[in-house]
Amino acid sequence: MSLIEVKNLDKTYYSGEIETPAVKGVSFNINKGEFVAIMGPSGSGKSTLMHILGLLDKATSGEYFFDDQNAKYLNDNELAFLRNEKMGFVFQAFNLLPRTTVLDNVKLPLTYSKKEFDHNEKAKKALADVELSNRLDYYTNEISGGEKQRVAIARALVNDPSIIFADEPTGNLDSKTGKQIINILQKLNETGNTIILVTHDKEIAKHANRIIHLKDGLIISDEPVE
Amino acid sequence: MNNVFLLAFKIAFQALRNHKVRTGLAVLGVMIGIAAIIIVFSAGEGINNLVLNQIKSFGSDIIETEIKVPSNKKGLASEQQNSINLLLGAQITTLTLDDMEDINKLPNVKNSYGAIMTQEPITYSKEMRRTIVVSVTASYIDIDRAEVEKGRFFSEAENKGLSQVAVLGSKIKEKLFGENDAIGKSIKIRKTRFRIIGIMKEQGTVMAMNFDDFIYIPVKTMQKKIMGVNYIQYMMHKIKDVSIADITADDIRILLRENHNISPPKNIQKGWADTGKDDFRVVTMAEMMDVFGNINNYLTLLLLAIVTVSLVVGGVGILNVMYVIVNERTSEIGLRKAVGASYSDIMWQFLIESSLITLAGGIIGIVFGIIISYLISIGANSYGLDWSFIVPIKAFVVAIVFSTVFGIFFGAYPARKAARMNPVEALRHE
Repeated sequence: MSLIEVKNLDKTYYSGEIETPAVKGVSFNINKGEFVAIMGPSGSGKSTLMHILGLLDKATSGEYFFDDQNAKYLNDNELAFLRNEKMGFVFQAFNLLPRTTVLDNVKLPLTYSKKEFDHNEKAKKALADVELSNRLDYYTNEISGGEKQRVAIARALVNDPSIIFADEPTGNLDSKTGKQIINILQKLNETGNTIILVTHDKEIAKHANRIIHLKDGLIISDEPVE
Repeated sequence: MNNVFLLAFKIAFQALRNHKVRTGLAVLGVMIGIAAIIIVFSAGEGINNLVLNQIKSFGSDIIETEIKVPSNKKGLASEQQNSINLLLGAQITTLTLDDMEDINKLPNVKNSYGAIMTQEPITYSKEMRRTIVVSVTASYIDIDRAEVEKGRFFSEAENKGLSQVAVLGSKIKEKLFGENDAIGKSIKIRKTRFRIIGIMKEQGTVMAMNFDDFIYIPVKTMQKKIMGVNYIQYMMHKIKDVSIADITADDIRILLRENHNISPPKNIQKGWADTGKDDFRVVTMAEMMDVFGNINNYLTLLLLAIVTVSLVVGGVGILNVMYVIVNERTSEIGLRKAVGASYSDIMWQFLIESSLITLAGGIIGIVFGIIISYLISIGANSYGLDWSFIVPIKAFVVAIVFSTVFGIFFGAYPARKAARMNPVEALRHE
């Protein structure tokens, strides 16, 4: 069964009179448990696509079904609910809250959650999954880049999402730390998480099970990694 | 935790705690505005009480008659014209001591004194200074609350006999003679020599006039030997029955119109602001209190207008701070949206942040305002003013309403801006 179903998706940016098409009618499905890399050079539309898939942005035309719900018809609260309950995000720039501890950063999605459970317990478990149990009370400016990204992954994981979106998660890291991050994502996939990884790096993309290649807003290839 | 409001409160509180300096500065801005409101109201009340107490100290059994420039206008307009004309140097020469004699014959009038108040050059041992000379009939000392400390006041015989005698206020005595005995010495008022026969008891400042700087001389001496005139400027009448003060005041008006050949007004307006044609004005103490009450209200309103301006400036300060906060935290807002914050979550967070700032500023401002008001009252009392420390309820109401309204009003725009932010663009913002 498809978690993500995309049909003829278009995204065009308008600034004044100028139209800039970013995604030009792409279609694909992603099933639960897949690890998909969306690859392409910068300007290929891969980030735009990820934002639409992550319900952070709306398509100009075409259909996008997430978990059988048409994104077109979701209001702000429903979108917020889905992002909170079903999705986790990992960004290139980590996007951690400054002046806040590692633990509190990981708890952030839970504060917006409607579910009842022990936030501390949940956040500690997520941090254990990324092997950061020893950094709970550190402030985010006191830890290394790799650790920051692991905090971000823990934050993405904490609310048991159906899917994790990682947008160039290794972009701000050296190759060795980048490798660690990819390994964590791989491990998460092996334990059943669906992951969409956006990258321009072939080596990184190889860790996925499937690569969707974008160029100029079009899919030029969509094939499994052998 | 399901409560959006509670959640937003928690988040807002955390955010404020994490940015102590910024929060502190914003709180300070609100605090100053709110403290200003409290101080203005309290000071207004203090002034009001001060003035009313002092009017009361004249005694409620007093009616005043003073000169006024006749005009065609009525009510307040004629009052304004009168003040302007007097300032421009208009002379009213119709009020005389004969009028006073006639008024004294009215059944409810116990006694009166007539007076001229002028500023005059005073010379003693080659030193010249200007001070206020109050020229009165001898009955002054019976009617006014002023008392003689040393020596004596002049008699009516001395007044009628144009005696060149003077009684000094305690402060002017000190300025001229220091610790030395002044009685028996002589000073010059303009070119005329006066013998000092008494020193007054200290009285302090009443309505911005320092009575202790006054010099008292017989009014007839002033009229004949210094000014060469026949008129007086005002009279004070002591009455027997206070309950019919209004009727007595009207009797005085009728009498003076007759004496001055003024036709009575067609529509008599009640009270002191009655008619334009009169060249005098009769005021009872009760009316005077009303007038000062009104003046004080206007004064408070004026001060409040100033405070409002400063509050608006403060409010724009909050707006500015919140705007900066929202801008600075754009990527945080993007992130919060990405992890599931809805429009209302973000809206409430920032609205509550600004409300907490104004609430804290409001509370601290109120406390601070009360303390300052208290210090003002202590200061005023140490200067000999009978200043009571009161913070009226309306001060709290206005302060609280203002801080609430400002918190919401100036917090709402930045909060809305934050809540409406596109998460993708917000995330890209660094």
